[in-house]
Amino acid sequence: MFGKGLLQGLGITFKRMVGPNITEFYPEEKPNLPTRVRSSMGLERDKCISCNMCAMACPNSVIKLTSEKNEANKKVLKTYHMDVGRCLFCGMCAEVCPTKALKVTQEFENAIYEPEDMQWDMIKRAERKGKVE
Amino acid sequence: MSIEKTEELILNMGPQHPSMHGLFRMVVHLAGETVTNIEPKIGYLHRGMEKLAESRTYSQFIPYTDRLDYLASPHNNWAYVQTVEKLMGVEIPERAEYLRVIFGELARIASHQVCIASTALDMAGWSAWSYAFRDRERICDMYEMTAGSRLTVNIMRIGGMSAEPPEEFWPALQSFLDDTPEMLEEYYGIFFGNEIAMGRLKNVGILTKEMAENLSITGPVLRASGVDYDVRKAEPYSIYDRFDFDVPVRTGCDSYDRTIIRMDEIVESIKIIKQAVRDIPGGPIMAKVPKVIKPPVGEVYHRVENPKGELGFYIVSDGTTKPTRLRIRPATFINLQMLPIVAKGWKIQDVVAIFATLDAVLGEVDK
Repeated sequence: MFGKGLLQGLGITFKRMVGPNITEFYPEEKPNLPTRVRSSMGLERDKCISCNMCAMACPNSVIKLTSEKNEANKKVLKTYHMDVGRCLFCGMCAEVCPTKALKVTQEFENAIYEPEDMQWDMIKRAERKGKVE
Repeated sequence: MSIEKTEELILNMGPQHPSMHGLFRMVVHLAGETVTNIEPKIGYLHRGMEKLAESRTYSQFIPYTDRLDYLASPHNNWAYVQTVEKLMGVEIPERAEYLRVIFGELARIASHQVCIASTALDMAGWSAWSYAFRDRERICDMYEMTAGSRLTVNIMRIGGMSAEPPEEFWPALQSFLDDTPEMLEEYYGIFFGNEIAMGRLKNVGILTKEMAENLSITGPVLRASGVDYDVRKAEPYSIYDRFDFDVPVRTGCDSYDRTIIRMDEIVESIKIIKQAVRDIPGGPIMAKVPKVIKPPVGEVYHRVENPKGELGFYIVSDGTTKPTRLRIRPATFINLQMLPIVAKGWKIQDVVAIFATLDAVLGEVDK
């Protein structure tokens, strides 16, 4: 019978219409993302040993860091800069980090207004975050 | 009465067009509403992947492969890392092989769901689109909890997998597998069994067996033309020789069969995942590979069965940390060449149907 398939399809949509909602009300309700989600990067300055592994693992030369030697002749991180406009968010930098100083974080609301906001000073960002919390 | 010929109409479809899957432009030559010729224009998404590979180390290129066929990124990772492993002669742990199969087949299901959804959407079936995408979200959730990303997954590494799936992955996978018969029933009821969809797709865009073979078509498009060819069976890679599954073949050669064959493939993928989940051993997920990857001097070609066809990587190594040359054999780029040949003589709305059933992903076409 012609039209049987159409009615069957309508039956399915009707069944789903009275069923439970599966959509999320995003801006009102924040999603609870798994801890492995690579939405943003976070640095713990004290843990960093300035080994430069992250910069070498990066496919796009996003990371630039400088260090200086302290009195005990140990390397201490001085600046840590990320050019996130070039970042693929592949997470390779966090994966190679031997001390887990660099981590992927779940802050996904990264929209910005100005191109220069894509230059992240990771040390300042970490300090700012510490103040907010 | 003699029929006067009108001037040929040239219609420009794309690159931004609702029925263009990505940035694809075709210049359609029309006589009335009948297509006389199609000139595909590609390259809007060209990023120079092959050249980029020459300036990246072997490990650094893995995230780029995600961006080829972005609807099935684990498959691209898989093809690439297996090529490098073949060049280096690395044996990877059993558990990693099983995990690769599970994620590869999940990617196949997700990719086919997008194909079904977008074909429905191109046939103006809005609700059918949302059903397939709803279920694909569950696969994306599984990617997300394991690798940390939903689309560009970057889950495989040279020598194994990037991460062990978390505890909540296995129940999520099991419930997905349990729900698939109902999902497929719904897709059939809402789209494939619909008379309008059948009218738009059946006997439209005939790609005969001879044409398909002569044009080097691969993947579901080839199998819908009655050719039993699948790299997983023809040249088993990874551990596909251990699984019991069939290669679905249809003989309709039309747009309808090219779409519905993907439903059959989902059923087979479910079968493979069930066997993999049953047999998966414990153990490590990474082989012992050096931190700095330096394959020996030589060249290698390796191919896998991507959801869209045969995906191959050809690498020439000069013994340094970066490849001298990397060539990608994309499935849809080669499948796309059937479009001007098959679409000739059909009406303009049929061109949309033929292009949709090709399931072209422009990330892979333009590289």
